[in-house]
This record gives sequence, structure tokens and C-alpha cells, in this order.
Amino acid sequence: MAAAAGIRQVQAIALQAEDRLGLGHFALLLLSFAAVVVGGYAWAWQIGHGMVGSGLERPVAWGVYITDFVFWVGIAHSGTLISAILFLFRARFRTAVYRVAEAMTVFGVMTAGLFPIIHLGRPWFAYWLFPYPNQRHLWVNFRSPLLWDVFAVSTYFVISATFLWVGMVPDAAALRDASAGWRRRFYAVFSVGWHGTSEEWRHFTRSYLFFAALATPLVISVHSVVSWDFAVSMVPGWHSTIFPPYFVAGAIFSGVAMVVTLLIPLRRALRLEEAITIHHLDMLARVVLFTSLIVTYSYVVEFSLALHGPPSAERATLVYRATGDYALLFWIMILCNSVLPLLLFVPRVRRSPAALLPIVIAVNVGMWLERFVIIVSSLSHDRLSYLWRVYHPQPIEIAITLGSFGWFFFWFLLFVKFLPTLSIAELKEQVDHPSVAQMGLVDG
Amino acid sequence: MDGDGTTGLQRRTFLKVLGACGVEAGCSPAHAPAKLYAALTPEPNVVPGTPIFYRTVCRECAAGCGVTARTREGRVVKLEGNPEDPIGGGALCARGQASLQRLYAPDRIRGPMRQGGAGGSVAVSWEEALSRVGAAIAGARGRAGAVRLLTRPETGLTGRIQRQFLAAIGMPESGRVAFEPLDLAPLRAAGRKLFGRDELPAFDLAAARTVVAFGAEFLEGWLSPVELARGFAAGRGKVGPSRTRLTWVGPRLGGTGASADAWVATRAGGEAAVALGVLHWLVYRSHRVDGLPPEAAALRPIVAAYDPASAAAAAGVPVAAIEALGRELAERRPSALLGPGLPSSGPDAVELAEAILLVNFVLGNVGRTVLYGLDPRLDIPARAEEVEALVADMAAGKVEVLLLHHADPVGALPPGFGAREAFAKVPLVVSFSDLPDPSTRLAQFVLPDDHPLEAFGDVSPRAGVVQIDQPAMRPLWDSRAAAQSLLDLAKLLGLSALRAPSYALYDHFLAAMKVLAADEAGKGGDVEAARRAAMERGGFWKRAAPAEVTLETRPLAPFRMGPPPAEEGVPIVPFSTPLRGGGAVDAMPWLREVPDPTTSISWVPWVELPRALAERLGASTGEVVEVRTGAGAVELAAYVAPALRDGCVAVPIGNELSRLLPAAVDGASGAFLWAGARATLRKTGRTIVLPRMSVVAEPTQEGVVRWVSAAAPAVPSPEASEQMYPRPEHPKHRWAMAIDLDRCTGCQACVVACYAENNVAVVGPELAAQGRTMAWLRIERYFEPAREGAPGPGMDFLPMLCQQCASAPCEPVCPVYATYHTAEGLNAQVYNRCVGTRYCSNNCPYKVREFNYVDPVFPSPLNLQLNPDVTVRSKGVMEKCTFCVQRIRFAENAARDAGRPVGDGEVVTACAQACPSRAIVFGDADDPTSRVSALRRDSRGYSVLGELNTAPAITYLAKVREG
Repeated sequence: MAAAAGIRQVQAIALQAEDRLGLGHFALLLLSFAAVVVGGYAWAWQIGHGMVGSGLERPVAWGVYITDFVFWVGIAHSGTLISAILFLFRARFRTAVYRVAEAMTVFGVMTAGLFPIIHLGRPWFAYWLFPYPNQRHLWVNFRSPLLWDVFAVSTYFVISATFLWVGMVPDAAALRDASAGWRRRFYAVFSVGWHGTSEEWRHFTRSYLFFAALATPLVISVHSVVSWDFAVSMVPGWHSTIFPPYFVAGAIFSGVAMVVTLLIPLRRALRLEEAITIHHLDMLARVVLFTSLIVTYSYVVEFSLALHGPPSAERATLVYRATGDYALLFWIMILCNSVLPLLLFVPRVRRSPAALLPIVIAVNVGMWLERFVIIVSSLSHDRLSYLWRVYHPQPIEIAITLGSFGWFFFWFLLFVKFLPTLSIAELKEQVDHPSVAQMGLVDG
Repeated sequence: MDGDGTTGLQRRTFLKVLGACGVEAGCSPAHAPAKLYAALTPEPNVVPGTPIFYRTVCRECAAGCGVTARTREGRVVKLEGNPEDPIGGGALCARGQASLQRLYAPDRIRGPMRQGGAGGSVAVSWEEALSRVGAAIAGARGRAGAVRLLTRPETGLTGRIQRQFLAAIGMPESGRVAFEPLDLAPLRAAGRKLFGRDELPAFDLAAARTVVAFGAEFLEGWLSPVELARGFAAGRGKVGPSRTRLTWVGPRLGGTGASADAWVATRAGGEAAVALGVLHWLVYRSHRVDGLPPEAAALRPIVAAYDPASAAAAAGVPVAAIEALGRELAERRPSALLGPGLPSSGPDAVELAEAILLVNFVLGNVGRTVLYGLDPRLDIPARAEEVEALVADMAAGKVEVLLLHHADPVGALPPGFGAREAFAKVPLVVSFSDLPDPSTRLAQFVLPDDHPLEAFGDVSPRAGVVQIDQPAMRPLWDSRAAAQSLLDLAKLLGLSALRAPSYALYDHFLAAMKVLAADEAGKGGDVEAARRAAMERGGFWKRAAPAEVTLETRPLAPFRMGPPPAEEGVPIVPFSTPLRGGGAVDAMPWLREVPDPTTSISWVPWVELPRALAERLGASTGEVVEVRTGAGAVELAAYVAPALRDGCVAVPIGNELSRLLPAAVDGASGAFLWAGARATLRKTGRTIVLPRMSVVAEPTQEGVVRWVSAAAPAVPSPEASEQMYPRPEHPKHRWAMAIDLDRCTGCQACVVACYAENNVAVVGPELAAQGRTMAWLRIERYFEPAREGAPGPGMDFLPMLCQQCASAPCEPVCPVYATYHTAEGLNAQVYNRCVGTRYCSNNCPYKVREFNYVDPVFPSPLNLQLNPDVTVRSKGVMEKCTFCVQRIRFAENAARDAGRPVGDGEVVTACAQACPSRAIVFGDADDPTSRVSALRRDSRGYSVLGELNTAPAITYLAKVREG
């Protein structure tokens, strides 16, 4: 009977979680909505007046918007990693956290996908980036990494959103059965008539596996493609073969850090300490630590390659990055990405939410700065010294960036309120009792 | 033709339906039906889409370069040099190009105005204005000095009408004062004293192997800049002893100095001592220097005090610099010494001019490179004392009517002359100005003059040369040629002296042309044909022979200049730039937005501080500094100039400089004194963001600007690396360009020409300060390590524009194919397709792509200047140099119509066309016989950043370093 009690407990935790959200949640929702409004207003102004409000200038044609894009794509990364790759590797600690990670992924891509449009000089023609048949026989340029981006991001969005939804079907059914009124109809849509028959379960587990297998290459490919925006160009400081693995590691690094950033307050607000345990945080912290080491190694390799051999534009750019106008940002980035995560070698730090939270927030800051420093410092010191200029982000860019955070958290807060943040079905599977199978509860 | 099969509606059918709908909509009468009559015969000379060219003359400065005005649908859209013209030789400087913006200036005075009084400025009719002015003149008639005319020098018909008018109303000859504040009076005075010739010499720099400029900014605005630059360039761009060498003498290395091979950095005002030291070196060695005239030895006593050591001490330069200059002048002949210019127009300017002419004389340059007898002497500017006397008369109430003809004493002269106060004492000031300059604002009546592109007239910049000013379009506003206004007044007053042939300016013009034509046609020649031919080609150009000149035999007094004044403060070195010229450029946005070549500053005036002085003051570039002299104080943004000698500051010509200068006149020459004032500096604590194209203090030229020398005459070509992709093929043409850096003087003429030809937007000072100017072509200025003896680095100019790479990095990165490679080797940019990702700009190593941060604004009527052959871009799209693709198409179409291939030199880009030194050559690289092909094979040729394998279509020819 312990198992049945366990299952009921799981169900209770999951179902009652939303009821624990009170005024604080509503205030946060309002706050993020306000941020969306501010960012939206800034974007509308920009569409009306042109890019003049930004700090962009010759020679720095990309700035905060592309930084935001890469940052949010990076954030979007860990979701698939946790749900798909760890699923395939049967890493059990994922169960408690993957739903949050997946939701974060979807909302991250939704945020990231806005920036390539926001940064366009003529955003009203953004649809020209898609290869659609038209009477003028205009086609897109498949040699351009920006086009690869279009495919990478849209594919990633479709796959990750589908994956999230498919994984949620049994849970939505459970919620449907437990609720009434409009909520029942709402969950009915999500659960697509799930009844929990063994046939359905067979299809479900099979398709979930396929989706996991399908999504796994995306973890590598999406951020590789994003890194090609830079690596394929001939800008010193961008043009480097190290970029794809470096960016993928950085994406997982920032993504997992973001998952932890979200989980720590979430488990407290929803009182999910029993489901999302210290052990889970510990495991995620280890991923953060591991990817931090990869990122640090990439920094070292990037600089070593440039500093060896004859003087080159590459070397000048990297020396400038570390010592020039953006040096402060560069060293903050090193502190956040390479130095602070070293604390995670200490098990006590990994297992203390209070210690972990500042570290992962610092990682998020550091990873944003990393993209900023790579993009901006390389452009501002290009090959012809006559035109060198320092780029300063302007209020409109900051407003839109804040708006993007508002946009992300707005969706995330809605998700927390209305959809199960834990995978009820998978947690039930793991309720540890030998009699579970005999009692025929697995299918239910 | 099939439709594309997707809708079943064929394009043609669609168009038919659309057309029918349009007719339907157009036919439904909104008002009572009325019959429309189309013109059966179109307006003469106006063929839509076809340009018409008129030859005329530029009046922006006194040089008088011939101009070809390109008109489209009845309005002038571009000015270019007249290739047949003996002065400009087909090129046109930045200011000449911008004359078009004077024509279309939004601020232009659009009709006669009455000003002052209660109503402010009110528009009045010509009848009223003329009758009021006529009544005032009638009242003053016969009282000598009561009616005065202050005019810019007018060497042609206008000047004659002015004189006749004043004579007819009983005014003496002195009633007309020709006003030229920057007149080279010291040079004229020196010629008068030494050779008995009261005139300015002409300089044939093409014949000179050595040129020494003593503050003479001859590549920027001095005397006749286009002609001088062209002559100078003839000896540049080659390696070896026949190359022309330039030495710059003066404390500030400006645009002209940047082209110099050596810099003798004197203290401010030390140029005269250098010239005298060189003269001393030559005449005391006359027995050892070949071919010096017998007079040389006789000159010894007058320069006795200026042995090289003393001269060097007085000039603040090493003795070796003077000796080296003397040696060079003795060895490399013929030479030409030029000066004084604005920076050296201080109290010693006459001594400097005399020393320069004497050196020229002893070296045998006079008659070879320094030519007397070519100044037409038709309207010599008045001495400064005469202007002072006029102002005094005005202040004393003796002047009842003052007529102003393109003369702005209030704006151009230091306030100490009291012009503004004196204006208040004149009952009636009448200005013929086309723009509201400070003097015109004080006038009671403005009778606006036509722009030279709207009126008939003529100018004679050289003996035997008459440039015909022919209108290229109908007047834009209700303006009248100033000479016509005088004729109208004459008619009103019944002055019969001006009645013949009639009171119409055109009849006077025609009569004058007929006289010239009769002279040209000779006895029995067809006068009318000669006149027509002259008007078609742009002028009467009789080659006058230079006069024989001998040194006055009367003994000259020894030179003795006082020691530099020990007043407080640092001397102000005035200078002009190719864009500022005389200083009044406010109405011409191109001249304000295009950066000064040496500092890259646009829009605002500035004060240049040498590095050491800036350090002592604790000021950095952009900090606002108060510059105070005895005459006044102005606040200017500081620019720390690497190539400015310590112990002085430099201020560009303009209103701010005028306000700093005392009302000083050089009694010896009658020149206004522009140099020699001393200033004290104080930081104000404020800082502004200077609109600068380059904010880098000293960008280094390493690897970008290349050099060759006699020892190493070829630029090593980079190792050819493997290409993964095949190079694009160019079956018909590959358009290409060669730019000779040894000839480029950084004069910005090409940049302004590009603005004009390609509808490049002017963005204004705020956006310029943010690095968002739209220039498709820019002159990059790099610094090179200081040469021996120079107190600061040298400067190199590099015209940078789209390199039209064969393997263009911009092309593959555009996601929508807005940029692509054409079959003729151009990187086309399709504005309509561009979505503005700006990736192309990032990937362009030359950073020559400009992004439209805002919708460009062309304030009316400046929009009338827009070239109809070029799209006006909108916000959010990228744009860049197209190699003037519209000109390529024009030439290709013309060739196709004629059934022949496009010949070499038939396509000329706007920049190549404008270049006074012919540094830019455009053509087909696929044609092995074309000039550009030959230059691409030149041993000096290289590609900037060629190691990146971009295979640019632009070949730079390396600068040449001597010795």
C-alpha cells in the first residue's frame, strides 16, 4: 500500500502545486507583462524611426540584439539536453526537472526567435528569409549562415514544442480528470483524448523515444549553426573553427545554469522540495561545473592559437578584447564563467541552494557578456584601424532586452500556473516499490 | 511567354486587366468633364530620361574653372569639370561640386525682400524694390561717395556694368571696392617691388621637379587649386629622379603638407626665415651652383643677415633642414616655390613673398614654372585700407547707399573693423546676395542674384581666357542677375550710358561675346559660328605667352625682420581646408558633412592643439577650450593634432577665426592679416562628441598604405593561396579601378562628387558624431612614423570605397541575395531586396557598406538635385558604392546603339571624373589594352588586404618614398 500512497502523494504534489501560487506569482506576472509592454513600445519606436536609437554604428553592425539572440538560443539548449539526451542515457535524475527544462527551452526559443527580426533594418520583410514560392522567382541564399539560422531555430522550436507537448499528454489527462469547468476543456485539448490504455502507452513510450532521438542531434546542431554566424565570417575574433563546440558547450553551460536558476525558487514556491531534491540540484551543478571547464578550455585554446605564430589580425583582436575598451566586461566574464563555477568542486556548495543560486546567476550574466564581448569587441576593432569605434548599448536596446526577459518569464509564469511542472507520469513510474507492477498501477 | 503557372493568370493578362481598371478609374469624372490637350510638340531640349550638358563656369572661388552642367528634365543634377577648359582641365574641386547645393539651398533668398523695420523681412515685388532703391540712388546722385558698391572681384561683364553704372550716377572710380579678404596681396606686392609687375603669377607645376610650399595650401584652395593639383600630379606617381618632390614649410601639416615628401616644421611665422635662409644658401654658393644668373651674387648683401644658422634659429628649425632644402633646389631644377598662404599670411608675408620670388628668380624658375603676364588684371582686389576707408566713411555717415555684391564684410572680417556698426549708419544697404549672409541680414533691401547656373555672364581668370557663364536652367526662384538689377535701376533712372544695346543683360552679354568672337574669328571669319562654338565648348581660350621678367635694377634694402613678438600666449595658425575654402559653407551640407581630410572632423569648427600643449593644458580631443585673444574669445572643441608643431594652435578659416583676430592690416601689401594673432587657452570643463569619421587618435598605415622607393620599386605581391571555389567569370567586362596613392592629395573632390552623383544622404552632425555618415567613398587618413627632423608623424590618404571583390565576403552571407556578383564584376546591391541584417557590413573587411539608420532627408528644394538615375534609399537598407553603375549602363547603351564595343575611357565614374590629380582611373580589366589593365599590372600595384583573397577590382598604386 505504500506504493499506492506514494503515487497518490506524487499526484497530490503535482496537482496542488499551482494552488500554492498566490499574490506573489500574480505580481511577478504583472511585472513581466509590464516589461513586455516596455520592450514592445521600444520595438515599435524602432520600427517607426529606424535603427537610429540603437548604439550601432560603423563598424559595429551587430550589438545587443544579436547578443540577446545567442543568449536565448543558449538558454534554450539545456531543455533538450536534459529531456532527450539524458533520457536516452537513462539518467534518472532528469525526471524531476525535465519538464521545467523543456518549458524553458520552448520559451527560450520563442524569445530568441524574436531577435533576428528585431535586429532587421526592415523587420516587416522578415518573411523574405523563408524560401516560399513567389511569382517573382525570388529565392533565399542557402550559402548564408543567417538562413541556416532560420532553419535551425524554427526546426528547434517545432521539435522542442512538440516534444514538450507529447511528454505532457498523460499528465494533461490526469489534470483533465481532476478538474472541472474551463480547465477541464483546456486540459482536454492538451491531452488529445488520452485514456491511458495500454495501446496508448505503447505508442506514447515509443514516440517519446523517437522524439528524444530526433531532438538529440539538434542539441549539437542548433548552436553549432548559431556559431557559424560568426565562424563562417571573416571577422578576426569570429573566424575560428573552435566556435561550434565552444558555443555548444557554452549553450549547455548557460542553459543548465538557467534551469537551476529557475528551479531553486520554483521548488520553494511550489514546495516541491520532496520531488526536486538536493540530489537533483547537485547533479545539475555538476553539469554546470563540467561545461564551465569546457568553456574555460575553449577560452584558453582560442587565445593560445591566436598568440602563437606570426602577428595576425586575430591576435590583435583578442589582445584588444582582453585589454581594450571592453576589458572590464571581458574579465567579469572570466570571473563568472571560469572562476566562480570552480566553487562547485566543493560538494557543500553544490548541495546548498543558497550558495548555488548566486553562482548560476553569475554564470548567466557571464554567458551574456561572453556573447557581447565576442560580437562587439571583434567588430569594433576590425582590420582597418581608421574606423575603429567603441559601441555603447543605448536605452532602446536595454529596454528591448528587458522586454525579452519579461516575455520569457511571462510565458514561464503562465506555464507554472496552468501546466504540470513535474512529469507526474514519470514520477509515478519511479515510486519505488516492487509491488507496483503487480498491482497493475503502471498503466494507470 | 508563359506565365509561371502558379495562378493561371498570365502576367500580360494581368497587366491588361490592371490597365483597363486604371482607365476605368481615370475616366470616371469627379468634376465636370473637360477636354485635355496634350502637347504635340514637347518642350524643346527636354527629352525625358536624356541628360543635356551645358558648359558654364564655377564661381565658388576666383580660380574660374570651366564646368559641364548635366541637366535632366530641366534641372541641373551634377556639375563636372569641363575637359576642354584650360584652367580646371576637366576636374572640379569639392567646393565646385557643392555649388549645386548653393543653387538648391533651402535658405536661398527666393525673391526681393525688404528687411528691418517693424515687419522684419517681407517679400516685395521687384517693381517696388527697384523703385525704392532707385529713388534713394537718385537722391544721392552726383554726390561723390554717396553711393558705394562693395563687390567680389568681377572680371567680366558684371564688373563692367557695375563700373558704368557708378560712373553714370556720377560716382568716382573709387566708389567701387572689390573685396577679397583672402587676397594674395603680399605676392602681388612682392612682384611689384621685384619685377615691377603688380599681378599674381601663374604656376606651371607640371614643369617643376621640386615644389616647395611655404604655407601655400595649393592642393586645397590656394590661388587655383584644381589647376595646381593637376600640374603637380603630372610629376607624381612615378619612381625615380623625374618624380616631383614636394617640401612643406610651416608649423602645421595640413592637407597639402600631407602630400609632401619633406616637412620643414618652422615655428608659427617662421616660413620667411626659411625662405631667406635658402636664398642665402643659394646666393652665397652661386659660384658653386650651376647656372645661377649674375644677379644672384648681387643679392648677397640683402640676405646677409640670414645665413642658414641665423635663419634656422629664427625659424626654429635645424640648420640642416635649410641646407638640405637649398641643396635640393640647386640640384633638382626647375622648381617652384609657392607662398605665402593662409597659414603664413602674417606680418612677414611680404618678406616671405619676396624671398620666394627671389629664390624662384635665381633658380631660373621665373618664366618656366612661375609665369608673369598671365594675370588679366581686370579686377584687382582693393587694398585692405580701401575697405577700411569705406567702413570709416559708412560710420561717418558719408555713405547714403551701399550696394553689396557677394561681399560679406560683416561675416568675413574680424569684428574689430567695425563693419557691423558702420552698417547701422548707412541709410540704405542693398544686397544682391543669393544667401542670407551676415551682411545681407543687415541690408534694407535684398535683390537676390541668380545662381551662376541660372544667368549669363563671364569670368576671366587668366589673360586671354574668358570663361562663359551660361545658364543651365531657368531660375528656380524670383531672382534676377545682379547685373540685370543694375540695368533695371539704370532704366529706372534713365541712365543712357547703359542703354546700348538695351537694358537687357542678355543683349550686353551677346554684344560682349560678339566682340570676343570677332577677335577669335579674325578678319572675315564667321563671327556667329565662332560665338556658338565658344559657348558650346565653354569659353574663349587664347593662349597668352608669359611675359619676360627682369629683376628691378634699383638696389634692394636688406631684409630685416623683427624678432617674433614676445606677447603672451601661443600664436594662432590659420588654415583653410579643401571644404571650407573662404569659410562660408553653411548653405552647402555636403561641404559640412564631408570630413576635413586631416582631422576627419565635420560640421563643427575646432581648434588644433599640438600634443605637448594639449598635455600641458590637460585637454583631450572633444574638450571645449576657450581661445582668447586681445580681440575676443571663442569656445572651440579641441582636436589634439599629432602633426602640429608645439608652441602654436591652429584654427580653420571661418567665423570663429575672424572673431579671434584683431583688425590688422599689412601696410606693405594691403592685405588683411590672418596669421600672427596670439591666444591664451583655458579649459571650459565641457566636452562634446566631435563629429569625426575616425575617432582613433592615430590609426597606423601598416600594411594598408604601401610604399615603394627607387631601391625597391615594386610592392611584393602576396602569395597566391588556393581557392576552394572558382572565381566568378566575367564574359564581357570586368569593371575595375586603379587609384594612385602617390597622386591622391586627400582633397575630397571625389567624395563630394560621389554624394552628388549617387544621392548619398547627408545625416547631420548628431548622426555624424555617431559614426553613421553615408559616404560611399571616404578618404581614410593614416599616420606614418615621423620622418627625420619632423616633430610629428606624416599622413597618408587612402580613398576607400567598395572594392567590388571577385570573391566578395559580403555576397555569401546575405540571406536574401540582396547583394550578388554581376557578370560584369560588380557587387550589386539590390536595395528593394535588402532586409537589413547588416551581416554584409560585418563581413566586409573594408567596411565600405553604409546602413541607413534613418530615412534620408533631402530638404526641399535640395531634392531637386537628386540624380533621377539613382534610387533614393530608405531606412533599414544597406547601400554602397556601385562603381556608378548608371554611368556604366549609359555608356554601354550608347555603344550598343552605335553598334560598337564600349571604348576605354568611355565609362568614367563620378569620383574619377572629379579628381583634380587624375589619381583614379576606371575601365575594363578584361580589356588588356585598357589603361586600368596596364595600371593593374604596374609594379606599384597592390590590393588593400589582398592577403584575404578577396580579389578586389581596385588596385592601389603605392606611394613613392624618395631617398
